[in-house]
Amino acid sequence: MPGMTRRDFLKIAVLAGAAPSLLAGCAGEGDKHEVNFFNWSTYIAKDTLPRFSLETGIVVNYSVFSDEEEMFAKLRSGALGYDLIVATDYMIPRLKALNLIDPYPTGALKNTGDIDPKFRNTPYDPDNAYTVPYLWGTTGIGFNKKHISKRPTSWWDLWDPKYKGKISMLDNARDCVGIALLMKGCPQTTDSDAAFKAAEQLLISQKPLLKQYSSSTYVDSLINGEVYLAMAWSGDVIQAARENPELDYVIPKEGSYIWVDNMCLVKGSRHRADTLRLVDYLIEGKVAAEIANFVRYGSPNAAAKPYLDKSLLDDPRVFPPPSVLKKLQFYAILPPDLAQTWIDTWSDVKAA
Amino acid sequence: MPPGKDALPPGGRWARISRPVRSKAKKFLAWLFSGKSEKASHLLILPASFWLSFFLVIPIVLLLVLSLAQRGPYGTVIWHPTLDNFRRAFTPLYIPIVARTLLYCGAAAVICLLLGYPTAYFLSFYAGEWRDTFLILLMIPFWTSALVSIYSWIIILGRDGLMNSVLTGIGLLHTPLDVLNTPFSVILGLVYFYLPFMILPLYSSLEKIPKQYMEASYDLGAGAFQTFLKVTLPLSLPGVFAGFILTFVPCLGDFLTAEFLGGPRTYLIGNLIENQFLMAQDWPFGAALTAVLLGAMLVGLYYYQKLEAAEIA
Repeated sequence: MPGMTRRDFLKIAVLAGAAPSLLAGCAGEGDKHEVNFFNWSTYIAKDTLPRFSLETGIVVNYSVFSDEEEMFAKLRSGALGYDLIVATDYMIPRLKALNLIDPYPTGALKNTGDIDPKFRNTPYDPDNAYTVPYLWGTTGIGFNKKHISKRPTSWWDLWDPKYKGKISMLDNARDCVGIALLMKGCPQTTDSDAAFKAAEQLLISQKPLLKQYSSSTYVDSLINGEVYLAMAWSGDVIQAARENPELDYVIPKEGSYIWVDNMCLVKGSRHRADTLRLVDYLIEGKVAAEIANFVRYGSPNAAAKPYLDKSLLDDPRVFPPPSVLKKLQFYAILPPDLAQTWIDTWSDVKAA
Repeated sequence: MPPGKDALPPGGRWARISRPVRSKAKKFLAWLFSGKSEKASHLLILPASFWLSFFLVIPIVLLLVLSLAQRGPYGTVIWHPTLDNFRRAFTPLYIPIVARTLLYCGAAAVICLLLGYPTAYFLSFYAGEWRDTFLILLMIPFWTSALVSIYSWIIILGRDGLMNSVLTGIGLLHTPLDVLNTPFSVILGLVYFYLPFMILPLYSSLEKIPKQYMEASYDLGAGAFQTFLKVTLPLSLPGVFAGFILTFVPCLGDFLTAEFLGGPRTYLIGNLIENQFLMAQDWPFGAALTAVLLGAMLVGLYYYQKLEAAEIA
């Protein structure tokens, strides 16, 4: 913490203490230095935000979600006062269409030049106007080696009756319906009713084998043996595996999805200048590396590379080798009615 | 005392108000709380009426209007009247969910009754000077956030949790039980949350039974068990009914318990509704489901009241 004095510390303590009252009575007052940040759960290093507050005097009110559709529903119902959200690539066109996010003002960020060109000019944001990439990762299978003798290699292992009651699935349409379509050999952009019916049947047939649908607590379940196998997001498992070496992660041979999460400015946010300062901070090479080292997801930031742990860089689960990479696909940008079909299919699976 | 003096007169600020105003205010209050004037009763009910209209009637009307609308792209709402949402609510797909909800809520209410009756009986007849303490202890779980309670249950029921480590520790079990994410854990959670709603009405109806009735029963030669069966139990039935309604009905709309303590096959009506608003972003269908549930509850309550009226007559 460079240049932190006792006085600074007191200032932060006071700011932190005053945060709730600021939130309560700040209608229209843009001069309070704070940012309301809505992010995925377990998706930031422990001391990133406290350090930012110490350095800048800006209070960050941090809240988390574990289902992106719910994040979207909250944002859409409005009036929650979030300034900055993290949203996955496929969500961006929807957020834009409903006018829920603002473009970044040109030249407002110093550090965007450090972002790996691979993550710029993407199909979901061709002009780099609305998004700044935060982290990327993959969807695969997390498992506990203590309880299963054979490493899972296929998505079908999540349908193996041998593990009845010991399987967990992510609780969202994109991953579950997406993988079911993939297992049935249907393209992601299919609009065939038969394909969705087949995917739905496949997911329903799995329900008797499942312990839970969970996007947040499944890692704990893997650790304590509540479940042996879980459809999982790479970093979630790999970060827990540091303390629990029995945990491991694999991308199944049928292939899977790769995704990029992005920082977006919420429409009508009252703390724009502070928010931009936070975004700029989070994409500083050193800070981005610190986050990636902690959460074990890939950083889209080229300037972060020198600061990344060697163990992270050498980890094929985090940075898949080309042979695996070619089996990974990005989420397609679906037209609204097709996106709704995915959600309806998932809804019917949950209700069945 | 002449008005306009700075020092407060005896009687404080009230005495500083001029006499005619004072007497008018007194008269008004006397009229308001006399319990005789019909107009005064209208005035007294005003705050509650405002509350109910703004926070109950208007939202329900909005809900009914919404239930007739259609879903647009990206979860928007199209105001084009249709009954499709209601038609969809009655498709066979949802019958298992309704049956499951009725089963779980019924089981929870019955278990609440079995646990609550002895507790209420103890509070009314045995607790003595400790009664108020016990009543407060009963209320404490209410003052805890529901999420904190639910996470505590996850910790207790988990595979490495308190329950399993105790049971395996004393040698009752060899392998830990998987009770989390099962119907058992959901019903347990429901019982935990709604038990006080059973105990309190039971307690108040047992408390109201005059002790002389039981003494008379003993004098006439009935034993303790017979007295309970023929005197105490029948007289406490209104409490049993009230408790059953107060536990069963809110259970029907509960979604948190099944969300956190349940598994993929413990999906209840409450979860179905919640998912329409959050995950599926189909607000009109969610509103229709809510309207159906609300209607069913009202019909149930109407027949319950009729039954109770017949009982009293």
